[in-house]
Amino acid sequence: MAKKLGKKARKFARKNLQSAAKRNRKIRNQFNHRRPRRGGSGAREDGDEDLLQRVDDASTMATNDAADALISGLEFPEDDVEIDADLSDSDGYLSEDPGCPYYSDGEDGDDVKDCIMQDGLDKQNDDMNLDIKKQKKKLKKLLDKDPEFANFLEKWQAELESYRSKEDSDEEDGMDAMDDDDDSNDGNYPNAKILTSKTISEWCQLVSKEPKSPALRNLLNAFRDACRYGVHSDSPSMQRFQNTRVFYQIITFVLSESDNLFRALLEIPDDANKGRIMNLKNSKKWQTVDPLLKSYLRSSLNLLSQLTDNKILAFVLTRLRVSAVLFSAYPSTASTLLKILFRLWASGDQSLSLSAFLMIREVASLLPDCLDLCLIKAYNTYLASTKLVNDRNTKHIDFLMNCLVELYSLDVQNSCERAVTSVGQLNAILRQASKTKEKEDLRKIDNWQYINCVNLWVRFLCCNYKDYNLHPLFSQVLQVLRGVAHLFPGTRYLPLRLKLAQMLNELSTCSQMFFPIPSLLFDCLEFREISQKEQTQKTKVNFLSLLKVPKNMLKSRDFQEECVLSAIQVLSAHFAQWSYHISFPEVATIPLILLKRLHEQTTIESLHRPIKRLIDQVNENKEFIERKREVVSFSPNDKAPVDSFLQEEKSSGNASFTRFYASIAENRQPKGRKT
Amino acid sequence: MGKRSGAKKKDKKNKVILPPELPPEVDDEEVYVSEEDIDFYGRHRFHTFDQKSIDRYVGRTAGHDEAEVERLYEERNKRKATDASRRPQEEDDDLEVDPVDALPIKTLQGELVYNKAKKARYEENTGSMKSKAQENGADAKQSIKKEPTGKSKNKKGDDKVKNTQSQTEVPKGKLHSDVLEEVKEELSAEELFEKKKAQLAELGMAMLEDPELNIRSLNDMLSISNDKDQKVVKLGLMSLLAVFKDIIPSYRIRQLTEKELAVEVSKEVKKTRYYEYTLLRCYKTYLQKLISLEKQRHFYPVAVRCMCALLDTAPHFNFRESLLASVVKNLSSSDDVVRKMCCETIRSIFINEGKHRGEATIEAVRLIADHVKLNDCQLHPDSIEVFLSLRFDEDLGEHETEEQKVKPKKNKRWQNQEAPKQLPVSDKKKTRRELISKAREEVDADLRAVSFTLDPKERKGIQRETLSALFETYFRILKHTMSTSNLRSKANIVSPGASHPLLAPCLEGLGKFSHLIDLDFMGELISCLKKLSGYSDRQDETPHDNTLSVSERMQCCIVAFKVWRSNLEALNVDLQDFFVQLYNLILEYRPDRDRGEVLADALKTLLWEGRQQDMLRAAAFIKRLATFALSFGSAEAIAALITLKHLLQKNSKCRNMLENDSGGGSLSSLVAKYNPEAKDPYLSGALASVLWELSLLEKHYDISVSSMASNILSMANLNPTQNPVPILNVNPLEAYRDLSIERELSKPASKALSLNLKKKRRGKEFVVLSPDVLQKADCSVDKDKLEEKLQNHFAVLRGISENERLRAELNHTLSSINMYKEYKKQKKNTKSKIVRKKVARV
Repeated sequence: MAKKLGKKARKFARKNLQSAAKRNRKIRNQFNHRRPRRGGSGAREDGDEDLLQRVDDASTMATNDAADALISGLEFPEDDVEIDADLSDSDGYLSEDPGCPYYSDGEDGDDVKDCIMQDGLDKQNDDMNLDIKKQKKKLKKLLDKDPEFANFLEKWQAELESYRSKEDSDEEDGMDAMDDDDDSNDGNYPNAKILTSKTISEWCQLVSKEPKSPALRNLLNAFRDACRYGVHSDSPSMQRFQNTRVFYQIITFVLSESDNLFRALLEIPDDANKGRIMNLKNSKKWQTVDPLLKSYLRSSLNLLSQLTDNKILAFVLTRLRVSAVLFSAYPSTASTLLKILFRLWASGDQSLSLSAFLMIREVASLLPDCLDLCLIKAYNTYLASTKLVNDRNTKHIDFLMNCLVELYSLDVQNSCERAVTSVGQLNAILRQASKTKEKEDLRKIDNWQYINCVNLWVRFLCCNYKDYNLHPLFSQVLQVLRGVAHLFPGTRYLPLRLKLAQMLNELSTCSQMFFPIPSLLFDCLEFREISQKEQTQKTKVNFLSLLKVPKNMLKSRDFQEECVLSAIQVLSAHFAQWSYHISFPEVATIPLILLKRLHEQTTIESLHRPIKRLIDQVNENKEFIERKREVVSFSPNDKAPVDSFLQEEKSSGNASFTRFYASIAENRQPKGRKT
Repeated sequence: MGKRSGAKKKDKKNKVILPPELPPEVDDEEVYVSEEDIDFYGRHRFHTFDQKSIDRYVGRTAGHDEAEVERLYEERNKRKATDASRRPQEEDDDLEVDPVDALPIKTLQGELVYNKAKKARYEENTGSMKSKAQENGADAKQSIKKEPTGKSKNKKGDDKVKNTQSQTEVPKGKLHSDVLEEVKEELSAEELFEKKKAQLAELGMAMLEDPELNIRSLNDMLSISNDKDQKVVKLGLMSLLAVFKDIIPSYRIRQLTEKELAVEVSKEVKKTRYYEYTLLRCYKTYLQKLISLEKQRHFYPVAVRCMCALLDTAPHFNFRESLLASVVKNLSSSDDVVRKMCCETIRSIFINEGKHRGEATIEAVRLIADHVKLNDCQLHPDSIEVFLSLRFDEDLGEHETEEQKVKPKKNKRWQNQEAPKQLPVSDKKKTRRELISKAREEVDADLRAVSFTLDPKERKGIQRETLSALFETYFRILKHTMSTSNLRSKANIVSPGASHPLLAPCLEGLGKFSHLIDLDFMGELISCLKKLSGYSDRQDETPHDNTLSVSERMQCCIVAFKVWRSNLEALNVDLQDFFVQLYNLILEYRPDRDRGEVLADALKTLLWEGRQQDMLRAAAFIKRLATFALSFGSAEAIAALITLKHLLQKNSKCRNMLENDSGGGSLSSLVAKYNPEAKDPYLSGALASVLWELSLLEKHYDISVSSMASNILSMANLNPTQNPVPILNVNPLEAYRDLSIERELSKPASKALSLNLKKKRRGKEFVVLSPDVLQKADCSVDKDKLEEKLQNHFAVLRGISENERLRAELNHTLSSINMYKEYKKQKKNTKSKIVRKKVARV
């Protein structure tokens, strides 16, 4: 289409724009002549401006490119070959049984204009109506004055028509199959009879009583028209709905009942899987239901892409979820569905994206062919939507990450390959950056996409480490974490390092390995000066949505506070994990020394209490362990008794430090996660 | 070559032809005459050219008639033509060249390889100039224009034509020189630039081709580099650099005495003298120019680059002193590139002493010492770091000083070598003047060119001086650090590393040359280091008010031990304090702020390399290192563990710490309970503790750390004389480097992971999402609300479609009305036509 248009445009240009081109050339020549003669300053200024502009363009392009390159660097390649073959042969219109009655309900006629909307569009429409009347009057006057004009006008209109039809036929072949197929429908001219509320309720009753009733066809047709309502303003199907009630009736009835209806028709149980459907596909029963089902699925997809309201969308999705397995018969429908679903999933609304995800998960688990597509798409969507992180969407990103982990945990064997590729990419970027140490390469790491990606795999590992042998992946991820921490030293990157420390904590919890977390936190526990003047402007520092602290905040009180508090959280998580280990006193030794020093030095009053509390708790636990281990008789080399040391206490979880950690964890924002 | 006019060229050729053979190098192609040449000739008239000698040569050729000369030329051209036919392919190949490389290159066989791209550009250039000067010299243009095109085709004929033309050309050129001048002014800056570039290239090529003959071109090149255009100046400097690099002789040129000048000498000698004199003068001018340009920001990098290159290639040549002074000054430049360049140059001087027999080394070291003194030790660390490249003979320190005083007088050559160190340049030359005869000079030059080896004694002398200058610098820095750190401790500005930029490389250098330090300084040095490492006699004082960074303080400890050890530990110094320092510094270490390698090095030097330690001290370190390993990254941990293991091996009694033997048994010391925060290793009571850390370190994520921990734990079961199976046979420093993340990342990425997982399909239960989140999805939307929303949706859609329809109708009506106007117009036309027709008919 575009190509064709381009060709046409060119032809047109050749024919009609020659003079313009000529003029252009002339002007350019003049300009060229003039240029050297003009004072050097003017010309140079122009040049500078141009240059500036170009530099601007280049820089924006460069940033865009960089971002794009980054995505493409991390993303999985997806091939977007759309196979619409099994659907394009029909638009879902079903030939209706003439025996099925239409009822005209005069009593309903008066509430055509039942809902009075107070939005601008209606008013505009009214205005336009008035305008049309006025203009028509004028035209009529003219026509009256000069009857010959009527002929002329007719001729012109005929010309216009023919021109338009020619244009249409030109464009037709290029048009999207989805949009224009109701014009090219063979033989089945869509019904334009007006649907009334009575008709619909009658049909509904018929169908509920007997699923095989022909009214189902009519009903599905009506549903189809309802779903496409507003796509073509001039199509006759628009006229079928004069009433909002009717619209509502059809949509709700079909959505809520069709799953039962189709299952009844096909005689499949609730827990049917894909194989079952595939087997059915060749049966005779299927042949009769096939067009109906196709029409229904297609219409619902149309509806999904038409709707804008989150609530309705969520409703439609919940309804559709029960019949997810039916999509397996039509792979292309499934892929279209997934496309829509991922768009909705990434959207910010919580309930909508949850219901979209549940649907995705349903599809992915029911249709094994779609699983791979789902994994790719979900990953790419996740990457695209985590590009920017701010205070508001941290929760949403966390949710998306959890969803992704869910998806990837469906079939770990399969998704592990993806994980390995992705982690390999992360590792390659890291190596490149560590080799060159160039700003550009470092930028590829110091961004949310990279960090969120790492976080995703950390969480994935945490969920599946116990059940699968993921050690190679584990060590790769670990290397990435250590490398990133090494590449970004300094106070400015504290938020980033805190995140890494948190991830390490998670890994440590799931793998029961020891990680020296404190080495990442020393910077937080160091006492720093606070600038005094800054007190006036209160800026809230939220480490959840920061990787790098802005320079002006480095010395602010808020930053210091947030630093220490976050460090306390991470540190106490680390301590909590080893709080029953025989070596806990030693684990706490160095951090305790630092904490004590900080407690003495800090000038921020609000920090005294939490630091003191942590110190006390750690000391208490330390003494507790020391007391306990004084009485044991085994040595560090006796592994079994060392491992079983205090295991009873641990399982009961009654030690004071465990309680302390629970209270600290509670203070953090609830993360909506298990564990 | 091109600088000569046609007429002169003819003479020149004759002169060169004088000997029976034809001139070998003068390629006819290079000699064609361009406008500038003519112009140049017109302006300068070559007053200075040695016309007499040429005339004389010409006189000698009187025997040969013109025909004979022509014949010889013919012959040579024939040979050339065959050569040239072979050449074109090569010419086409190398078209893109760096401007610096644009000069011809002398291959090992002595052939000149020309850079054809340059030439092509030049030819283009002349072409363009031609078009400007079209009215002026159609003839000349023809001849020259033909040249590049016909070059390879029929060389012979062309050359002949050119030969004849070059003679006729000249007068014309002279006539038009004024006009040309005017034309030139109109040339745009770019063309001028191109032209100058080409000129430079040509001069340079000529220079390299035959320096003796074309030595005068240096002046021209120098004058070009005085240009207003900065680009031209830069190019000029670079071309001159290339030329000088090539033609600077391998000996030092001496100024002639008046007496010598008075003596009648042969022509050969005269020629050589003239050559040397010009070379030296130009070189001097060039250096002066560089030094002056260095001050301008724009030329700064170029000038420094030139100086570095010159110093690198010709450290033996005249005026080395001024070059060295400039380069040393720029060692602490704020410009990274410049600084790197200068450091490299100085390093190469230190390393390649053969080039200048160590004279430049001592000069450079002295200059750096002065520089440090002048700037009060506030320089970039790089300026001291170059010292690390110095090399000294091992037995240097042991020799007595008397030897140095025995100056070898018997040979004049030696005296000559001593001279630059002791006397200013001119004085030295005066002393030499009377002593050296001309013959002697030549022999000397030859000798010097052949052998750069020094008498061992003399070498020692130079090295000794270098060493004293070196240590003078180092001690100055130490003293300076001492005085300022005391001052600053009061101000309490903690900015480690920044306040003493030179300390780190200074300590490194002291460590490296510790075996060369005089015993007399030793005691003072050690006490100085002790103070710097932050030790104070009062135990209660926190080490915090020391402004040196942790790395620097650890380095102090390292240096102290190195000094002590390299003097065969004969020194009677108590190094206990350094152990205490290290014991406390371990806790101050921060992974990214301080250099881990220094820590590992300190562990290695102080603990790993030492012999048996005091038991209490060893125990304290063992405990601290174990605790340290729990809180720091794997690289630090492995360094600590290796040291720990070594300590346990050497001090078998400490192995009790591996056992849970309450109270440490009979070995328990004064302190019964372990105090992890003790400042003094003797008071920590570590011997009473148990190394529980190791059981946790066995769970360390890093496999080498965990295996090392288990290895150490296994020592508990062995008897004191036995050692466990060694698993890592490296010192702490190497282990640290091996395990550091940087090393890990530079290793090639491991091959694609192969995960063989048991096929296990998870059920439908959720893994991460919590049930309360999932519940939210199931609460379906309220029915009424849904109805309302759907209805709204419908209404909006209807409104939109209605709007569309109405709009279309309105547009249609409006355009209909508009059509009326056109209709009217048409009608009028037809009417008027009809009227006209009617008129016509009438």
